[in-house]
Amino acid sequence: MTRAKKKMMVLISFISLMLVSCSDSPSSLRMTDTVRKVSMIVKMNSGSFWNTVKMGAEVAAKEYNVELTFLGPDSENDIEGQIKLVDDSITNKADAIILSASDYMKLAQVTDRAAYHKIPVISVDTEVASARVKTYVGTNNYEAGQKAAERLIALIDGRGQIGLVSFVEGARNADERAAGMLDYFARFPNVEVVDTVYCGSDVQLAAELTNEMLAEYPHIRGIIALNEVAGIGVSEEVLKLGLGGKVKIITFDSPPEVIEMLQEGIVQATVIQNPYSNGYLAVQHAVEAIEGMHVPERVDTGSKLIDLDNMLWPENQKQLFPFVR
Amino acid sequence: MNIEPKHSRSFKFTKKTKVPLSFNVRSIQVIITISFTMITVIVVLLVSLLLYNKFAKSAEDNANLNIQQIIEQVNSHLELYVKGMQDIYEVVEDQIGQTDNISESLLKEQLTTLLHTREDLVSVALFTPEGRMVLDVPDAIMRRNTQLKEQSWFLTALKEPVAVSFSQPHIQNLYKGQYKWVVSLSRMISYKADGVLKQGILLVDVNFRTIDELSSKVILGKKGYAYIIDSLGNIIYHPQQQLIYAGLKYENIEPVFDYSFGSYIDSSTAEQRYITVRTVNPIGWKIVGVAYPDEIVTTKKDLQVFIFWFLSIVIIVVLLVSIFVSAKISQPIRRLEKAVKLVGQGDFNTPIDVKGAYEVEQLSKRFNFMLHRIRQLMVQIIHEQEAKRKGELDVLQAQINPHFLYNTLNSVIRLVERGKTDEVVTAITSLSKLFRISLSKGMNMIPLAEELEHVRHYLIIQKIRYKSKFNYTMVIQDEALTCTTLKLIIQPIVENAIYHGIELMPDEGCIQISVKVEGERVIISVTDNGLGMTPQVMGQLLTGGVKSTGGSGVGVKNVHERIQLYYGKAYGLTFMSEVEVGTTVTITLPMVINEPENVEGDGLL
Repeated sequence: MTRAKKKMMVLISFISLMLVSCSDSPSSLRMTDTVRKVSMIVKMNSGSFWNTVKMGAEVAAKEYNVELTFLGPDSENDIEGQIKLVDDSITNKADAIILSASDYMKLAQVTDRAAYHKIPVISVDTEVASARVKTYVGTNNYEAGQKAAERLIALIDGRGQIGLVSFVEGARNADERAAGMLDYFARFPNVEVVDTVYCGSDVQLAAELTNEMLAEYPHIRGIIALNEVAGIGVSEEVLKLGLGGKVKIITFDSPPEVIEMLQEGIVQATVIQNPYSNGYLAVQHAVEAIEGMHVPERVDTGSKLIDLDNMLWPENQKQLFPFVR
Repeated sequence: MNIEPKHSRSFKFTKKTKVPLSFNVRSIQVIITISFTMITVIVVLLVSLLLYNKFAKSAEDNANLNIQQIIEQVNSHLELYVKGMQDIYEVVEDQIGQTDNISESLLKEQLTTLLHTREDLVSVALFTPEGRMVLDVPDAIMRRNTQLKEQSWFLTALKEPVAVSFSQPHIQNLYKGQYKWVVSLSRMISYKADGVLKQGILLVDVNFRTIDELSSKVILGKKGYAYIIDSLGNIIYHPQQQLIYAGLKYENIEPVFDYSFGSYIDSSTAEQRYITVRTVNPIGWKIVGVAYPDEIVTTKKDLQVFIFWFLSIVIIVVLLVSIFVSAKISQPIRRLEKAVKLVGQGDFNTPIDVKGAYEVEQLSKRFNFMLHRIRQLMVQIIHEQEAKRKGELDVLQAQINPHFLYNTLNSVIRLVERGKTDEVVTAITSLSKLFRISLSKGMNMIPLAEELEHVRHYLIIQKIRYKSKFNYTMVIQDEALTCTTLKLIIQPIVENAIYHGIELMPDEGCIQISVKVEGERVIISVTDNGLGMTPQVMGQLLTGGVKSTGGSGVGVKNVHERIQLYYGKAYGLTFMSEVEVGTTVTITLPMVINEPENVEGDGLL
């Protein structure tokens, strides 16, 4: 009886304490005081696409109290460099790693290593060949490729030669985009994809490869550049050769250079992704993964085809020009 | 009974220092502890709740006021900025109006200078209502595909030609070079070209960066922010504009329209938000501050943490103090109770020494006093009992005389009848000496020599009475003579030897009395060669099972008890006997040397 009484007393005091301390319980992850360390490793540490990803990630980082480390090799071809960055993040005991893998296969091992160290890995923009990845945040690249192909077919009236300027062979998003395009082109017997080149996200190289391609196949009617760097290189080279408007160009992403080309009529359309959302959602899901919450397997942030008609729509303006200068 | 007090005493000593905490509900300790803690906790709880509410309220008010002030400040900055832009617009308009020919190079110079004075002025341009460019500063190459006739600033200027319109921030795509975010000020104005008055749309583009920076610097708490909407609800600025367009974020704009100035709580999202609205005059933009009350009022949380720890510490301290205090009060009482229990079990000798509260100490003192008194009374009773016993013995002592006198006188009469004068003299002399020693001036203790003298006279008288039925010898160690002894201890033994050992014997008996000193003891043995006793009879001798008829009446048992009463249990009588052989009675006494003045007697032996 005395024990029970004492217990009751303790209980009462604890309940009262609870009432005081927990009058409003933390409603979401935003309220936590703990700082989580998240490493975001992208393909390249420059370029407007990646800067936009970074901007979105930073907004989420502020919201979820994340200490964000944004990393990327100087060149998109530097796969070893990217692997090393992931390894460094594992060594530095990051709470989560957000990875945009430059190579689908070669980054798989280091991803598994991170998972082995109980560090959740989130794929952003580009997938990696690992089953241990928590979620993929990015565009459905196959669909995006099909969108680009659809527009090009319309522009060339469903016939003629087409060239592809991709960026890194083995990069999952490049492969998926190309697959989407090729599957679409396959429906049109008069359309022939004559060449696919890889510029390694180097503007100079992209221009040179375009030049060579046009020299080799002078009848090419359309070129699809599979990312922003390729787009810049291709459009500049086409402009230089005086083929603007004759060779239809569809690009991906929206660096200012490409927008300018779009307005000038060199580039007919560009497929834009949602890098800001990618960055934001990747960090948000990374935090959820750290907290052991359920995260969706894939998050499709969508893609949009931008041409001269819709480029000035207010909602597109913000996406095309994320930075106020 | 003998062991138990010992037990409880050791129990007491081990537990005295640490009486275990009592868990009985009705014990003082528990009552004090519980009530003390309860009261303190309730009071502290109430006070902290009151304080908490008060502090939290004022902290919240302060935070809200702070937010309002911040928004107010941003608002006035914005108003000032807008006013400045409007002023510039008017200056540009004036200059164009004053110029006769729009294509004059002086006008262009003036406008270029003006453009340079303000960093955030991007461009000034004049268009015909058909969209043809009349004037542009700075000189830049126009892009193709500008779609300027479809842009909002152009359309608004055409529609509402009176007031200067501010467009939404948008990308300026007119000139080659950078794509800049600008706010366009536009209006239909009149200008002169070659002296002819014409209508045109004057466009002044202002870099949006200033407003963007101004707005993005607004930080309300950790995650609060400010956004701007125009009068139609279009977002002018929002830190997460992209997320809103992507559908990842939702901003509840509708209620904002109900306010041009004020604050309200928005509960449309999971987290409560504190919204402050101010209107930027004259353009009708609304600057909206969004703050998270539960997050802004960090003081509230700090307070909660503080109160939590404060309460925990108070409860622990109060619990400890009340346990200590109650122990301090109740432990002496419990010790006292233990001590009283011991007394109840019969241990009157352990004094109670309980330290503690004044009352308890007093109680303990009084109890000790009472114990002392009980002991005194007990000693007194023992003394009285002993005295009573001694008195009885004295009476018995006195009783022997008439009995013995009667027998002796009978013998003397018989001697007189037979004319044995010498023997009569001996008998009477012995009798007189016997009585003198018997009386001994009323003293209880006499020298051993006198006691032996007394026995000798007794034997002489008995020998006369029994007509030399026995002989006697006395072997006495000289050292023994000096010590004192109880009187009348040997004579009853000798009397027994005669009456029970020798009287019924057909042959002549022999009584031997020997006295010797063994260490600190005096051993007196009386040996006869009479009938002897069986062990059963011997066993009953000291318990009073054997009743002798006749004789002096002072029994063997009596002698034994007296010796033990005076000298202690270590002394007394021992018997050795064998049927048909004889009996030896040994008296053991302590060696007590008599003081000279106590020595009585008349130089006997």
